[in-house]
Amino acid sequence: MSGSKPDILWSPHHPDRYVICDSELGLYRIGPVGSAETKAGTLPLSEETAATLLAINSDTPYMKCVAWYPKHEPECLLAVGQANGRVVLTSLGQSHNSTCKELVGKEFVPKHARQCNTLAWNPVDSNLLAAGLDKHRADFSVLIWDISSKFAPETSVAAEKIRLSSVDLDSSTVVTKPLYELGQNDACLSLCWLLRDPKLLLAGMHRNLAIFDLRNTSQKTFVNTKAIQGVTVDPHFHDRVASFFEGQVAIWDLRKFEKPVLTLTEQPKPLTKVAWCPTRTGLLATLTRDSNIIRLYDMQHTPTPIGDETEPTIIERSVQPCESQIGSFAWHPSSQNRMVVVSAANRVMTDFTVFERISLAWSSTTSLMWACGRHLYDCVEDSAEGIESMIEKDIATKMRQRAQSKYGHDTVQVWRNHLLAGGNDVQLKSLWFDLYYMKQCVEDMELKLQGNKQSVVYSGIKNIVKTSSGTAESRRCWTGSDRQTDVPRYHSEERCLALRLCGWISRGPDIDVETFLRSLEQEQEWERAAAVALFNLDIRRAIQILNKGATAEKGDLNLNVVAMALSGYTDEKSSLWREMCSSLRLQLKNPYLCIMFAFLTSEPGAYDGVLYESSVAVRDRVAFACMFLSDAQLPRYIDKLTNEMKEAGNLEGILLTGLTKDGVDLMESYVDRTGDVQTASFCMLKGSPGDVLKDPRVQSWIENYRNLLDAWRFWHKRAEFDIHRGKLDPSSKPLAQVFVSCNFCGKSISYSCSAMPHQGRGFSQYGVSGSPTKSKVTSCPGCRKPLPRCALCLMNMGTPVSNCPGTGKSDEKVGLTRENKLAQFNNWFTWCHNCRHGGHAGHMLNWFRDHTECPVSACTCKCMQLDTTGNLVPSDSS
Amino acid sequence: MELHILEHSLKVASIEKEGIQICTHGLIKLAFLASKTRCKFFSLTETPEDYTIIVDEEGFKELPQSEHISVADATWLALNVVSGGGNASSSQPIGVTKIAKSVIAPLADHNISVFMLSTYQTDFILVRERDLPMVMHTLSSEFTLLRVVNGETVAAHNLGVTNGFVKPKLGRLPRPIIHPLSSPSNMFCVTSLDPDTLPSVATLLMDVMFYSGGQKEPGASSEDSSHIRFFSFSLIEGYISLVMDEQTTQRFPNNVLFTSASGELWKMVRIGGQPLGFDECGIVAQISEPLATADIPAYYISTFKFDHALVPEENIQSVIGALRPESTAQ
Repeated sequence: MSGSKPDILWSPHHPDRYVICDSELGLYRIGPVGSAETKAGTLPLSEETAATLLAINSDTPYMKCVAWYPKHEPECLLAVGQANGRVVLTSLGQSHNSTCKELVGKEFVPKHARQCNTLAWNPVDSNLLAAGLDKHRADFSVLIWDISSKFAPETSVAAEKIRLSSVDLDSSTVVTKPLYELGQNDACLSLCWLLRDPKLLLAGMHRNLAIFDLRNTSQKTFVNTKAIQGVTVDPHFHDRVASFFEGQVAIWDLRKFEKPVLTLTEQPKPLTKVAWCPTRTGLLATLTRDSNIIRLYDMQHTPTPIGDETEPTIIERSVQPCESQIGSFAWHPSSQNRMVVVSAANRVMTDFTVFERISLAWSSTTSLMWACGRHLYDCVEDSAEGIESMIEKDIATKMRQRAQSKYGHDTVQVWRNHLLAGGNDVQLKSLWFDLYYMKQCVEDMELKLQGNKQSVVYSGIKNIVKTSSGTAESRRCWTGSDRQTDVPRYHSEERCLALRLCGWISRGPDIDVETFLRSLEQEQEWERAAAVALFNLDIRRAIQILNKGATAEKGDLNLNVVAMALSGYTDEKSSLWREMCSSLRLQLKNPYLCIMFAFLTSEPGAYDGVLYESSVAVRDRVAFACMFLSDAQLPRYIDKLTNEMKEAGNLEGILLTGLTKDGVDLMESYVDRTGDVQTASFCMLKGSPGDVLKDPRVQSWIENYRNLLDAWRFWHKRAEFDIHRGKLDPSSKPLAQVFVSCNFCGKSISYSCSAMPHQGRGFSQYGVSGSPTKSKVTSCPGCRKPLPRCALCLMNMGTPVSNCPGTGKSDEKVGLTRENKLAQFNNWFTWCHNCRHGGHAGHMLNWFRDHTECPVSACTCKCMQLDTTGNLVPSDSS
Repeated sequence: MELHILEHSLKVASIEKEGIQICTHGLIKLAFLASKTRCKFFSLTETPEDYTIIVDEEGFKELPQSEHISVADATWLALNVVSGGGNASSSQPIGVTKIAKSVIAPLADHNISVFMLSTYQTDFILVRERDLPMVMHTLSSEFTLLRVVNGETVAAHNLGVTNGFVKPKLGRLPRPIIHPLSSPSNMFCVTSLDPDTLPSVATLLMDVMFYSGGQKEPGASSEDSSHIRFFSFSLIEGYISLVMDEQTTQRFPNNVLFTSASGELWKMVRIGGQPLGFDECGIVAQISEPLATADIPAYYISTFKFDHALVPEENIQSVIGALRPESTAQ
């Protein structure tokens, strides 16, 4: 290679041997770096591998190209093309009595000397060696030699004429008669045998690519192009060929050879080598001059040129195997994505494996997958508790389960939604109870109160207590005793409403907690019930509740002790009881017991021990505050608590904020913390005020939740959610987007029927077969001409439901039986947006189960393939 | 058969022997430093009379303006016959002979003047750019006409001008040979070399090109009056072609020049006693047609003043016989 850049060839059969050719041929063996045979002569190729020089061959000067014999035997036989067009067979590292003895040294000499540009062994008939030569005015440029051919007698005549014999022609080793001569008066710059038929040879000629067929050499297929260098067949796709010209690679499909199926982005420097990866489909590596990077083009997902005319996707990236400029590279024939690179100068070699692109997919459930090379990895989060519990805890899993249990859809017993959510989340429980009490108040007040009371209820306690007016202060006696308490208690309409929202008192004018206490007793929340009773100044009831709690099944006997302590209550300021209780109460584990003593031992108006006991439910603390804090203290406390809740994203705070902008802020920090867009969506939908629903955050939660349902293929659930949403937020109902218009009168068939006399519909409900009323359904209500026919059953289409838009509530309950049957999805209008053919939905679905093309004859539209989700199955039950 | 109309716009110039030194800088650049110019077509032929330069417009810029240089006023286009379709006919008359009947004779019949340049690799037929419509009209029946544009071959548009052209002469008369012929005694070699090895022989080539006049060539004895000084170098689209006499080849190191396996040598037939000029047509045809009839391969190199045909040495007598049936044999 007369000082030109080096090249590399991997042995076709020894995975650890390769040849570097520059001015001479060097055979190397590659092995692990630390192996025992590491000697002084080894060259490190990478951190793990090193190469040992096995043999050098410098018998063949003026090398232009080299090709390695493709068969096992004789191994290590190389063909070398020289600058004067001669092809010499040579060998490396073989003993002289080896099988290829009679082949080594054989020369194949063209009639007219010119440079040999390329060599290619036939992969099947390995006796055939194709050589591509430069142009000569009177000679052929593609010569196919038979290496097994013996010395031809007729050449002796020619040999006599040789006067300029610079090389002694040893007639026994020189062959001058090629088996085939192709490409007269042309130049051949690159060659490769086609893998689809070993008789076909693809050649990059002077200005065209030509395919020669050895069975009929007078014929050739050719295409005029500049891209004639480095032709190479994709080993994984035998019709795909790459070639290049200067900086541009062209990819050809032999089945459609008129023009390249695609061309790759042009590089500023001319290309020197282009090679398909033998171990990975559709991966092409290219090298340009004076470059230290190798560009890789991934055509794995490129559609075949015969298929749809879509824009091909090619992923381009580059790798840098070494610091220095690259002279050449060669893919390893079997080791995945591996190559050896040799530098342009000094023959520095690098063993390099192209790291496969990683593609990552996160499923809408919990799993994470990634693909790398031929491996597919399922990723699992490492945790002490094991996978199952991790998945259990994941909000996506929870939301999925909740969606399946119709969480959020109970609009009557709103509090039940927390049970649908699993019933073990304190915050959700509090939230749904809040919403339940709000709803109750609204419904209750609708009867008595007018105006904007509804919005007041939903504006939260924070706003309710702000508007407080006419607060009355009272000092009541302890129930069952005539002792006057020095505890002032405050009353007002707003505080009363707040207590109702807290769930302490139920409807009705009587302010009585007895109902609440009983429900708490029923749920065995003894301590809480006792505390509530105490705060209502009924020590006796509190003691009674504690006793009950102690005696109940699984009750805590300690409650009796507490009851005893409680019964010793005295309002004497300096009593021992007070002193002991205020210090010992802190050791009580139950927060409710703790705040009971805090209440009893604190000065009036200074209830910090109660108000800031964070393990007590917000609703209880708020209710307490509403009873015992003055107009000055109350809003301050509520504001402070609200901010705390907002910051923490604690759903209990919804009681304070209501469904206002504050509430959205609170929900925002909740969603930020948990990702639970489901609860956020359902909760905010309850807020009737338009401005809350219009908040972009709320809209994005709702959209995200819908997308999530879609991603889970919970289409029915999504539809249910949309219906639910439409009821609560009528503005979210999408406008009708599709109308079916009559071919004759052009009116919408569903539209005009609302103007139809009611009678017509009445008849169709009976739907007597063959009666004139039957045709009502299948004809345009406007002009009474028939509706289009189904492409499959050839019946005119039409569904009864299509003619009752907006007839109101009555229709929902009445007449659904018969009409519903007729209007089953199977009977719906369906048509392809592309070819506009269609029919009954059921028929169409059946048809496309077995067919891809439109049922209308002569229509080749692949309707169902155009519908990307058409072949997916919902994963929820309807 | 395909006829490629190449994209080079060519100039044909003559440099007087006395004026060569002012041009050497440009000529060396064109011949040996191809990467420094954008020239793609360069040919230099030395005859006893002058140096003939054929060069494309890019390369023409490298030459100085001088009274020693005369330039033919036309712009020339190169045509190249390619045996498309790949029918490997076994009988292959070489070079000019092959295209004599299909290209040269029809052009001569239409009074189109041609300028020939044979190289190691192929034959170029140069025609004036203004004659191109006529050329295409004349040859469209026999050839697929392709035009090279930016290196890609595209179908040439038939210009559709048929009216007003002279009808070809019907009834082929044997073309008489008008100009005197001579055959120098020395033998020639048509060869090429690997462009990579060009630097190693550059000084030798420069010596051959520019200093031949002062050097006594071995074997060229003074009494051998018919010995001719002739050397041609061309670098066209990266391919090098050389024509030199046998003595000159011996000055080159072994294995540098491409030689054919048969080592063929060629004798020259020089056409013209007076400078031929550029307007007369039919000269190439006069020579090539009889050779084609006799199936004798030939090279043909036109220069500014005279034409030169190269024929195999063993055929020279039959060539002379074929070309001078009537005239007195030398």
